[in-house]
Amino acid sequence: MLAFWKLIVLLLITLTLIYWLLLAYSRSLRREALEKGWDAVTGQDLGPRESYIETGMAQYETSLRRKLLWLVYVLPIAVLTVLILVMNVQW
Amino acid sequence: MRCVKATFWTLVVLVVVGFLHYTLPQHDVVRVVGTYQQRVDIGGWTRVFWSGSSKTQITQVNRDVQFIQAVKPNGKAIVYRNEDTGWGWPPYFKFDTATLQAKADDLKSTPETPKWAVVTHYGWRMDMLSIFPNAISVKAVAGPDVRVIPWASIIILFVLAAIALLIRAMWRQFRERSIDPLFNDAASRLDEVGYRAEAAGERARGRWARLKQRLFGKAK
Repeated sequence: MLAFWKLIVLLLITLTLIYWLLLAYSRSLRREALEKGWDAVTGQDLGPRESYIETGMAQYETSLRRKLLWLVYVLPIAVLTVLILVMNVQW
Repeated sequence: MRCVKATFWTLVVLVVVGFLHYTLPQHDVVRVVGTYQQRVDIGGWTRVFWSGSSKTQITQVNRDVQFIQAVKPNGKAIVYRNEDTGWGWPPYFKFDTATLQAKADDLKSTPETPKWAVVTHYGWRMDMLSIFPNAISVKAVAGPDVRVIPWASIIILFVLAAIALLIRAMWRQFRERSIDPLFNDAASRLDEVGYRAEAAGERARGRWARLKQRLFGKAK
């Protein structure tokens, strides 16, 4: 059982690290897109650059894309569960 | 320098490919000819080639290990060990060693009336080190020339390649957004200092030229 807990702890640490890295990456992509979006628009008034970007980032935090990041935890654990069953149950 | 670099990257590629070749599942079409259990001394660095999933496996210096003997269609013999990987590495989550041994026993056959089977395994057989590949599963097949498509390895390699590309993209984004601006700031500050020095030089040269002109009557 010791090995099981070792696996769980290592898995959670790794997945949390991956989650944070992907979150930072995803936020960075969103912010860059917002910056470029503001810079590209010349015809209409989008308001000050800073507040436009901050509003966009606030919207991102509640978006589906942001929530999909939880798949970082869900997918590997689901795959492992299926794998354990497939490897040990006789069909 | 180029030589050092090439050697370094060759070593990296060798280690990565070797690691994957050892760890990923492989399929052998074989005829199982026997199974046995033997007490094995496990010590020294070759311990990494034996299972270390349970406390017993980690602490004991010797233990009973089950083996499966088989013959390939080309007549060469191969011996697999049959050990749980449990929750340890590599992540095959194999707990059904006893079941697998029973299945292998059931598939035993003679050269005259052969029963062919696919043994999925990972690991290497090395006589000199006394290491054996670990059998993961065994399944009866129609004949010796059945073709097995290694879907598991294909999917795993595909996912690993995707992860490598993702890491590359993430690193580029980080460099572009977080590292480059620092250097750009520093560079533009350096540029400013440079321009100022240059302008001062121009001014100084101008004064010197004027002085020369005044002293010697004509500018050079």
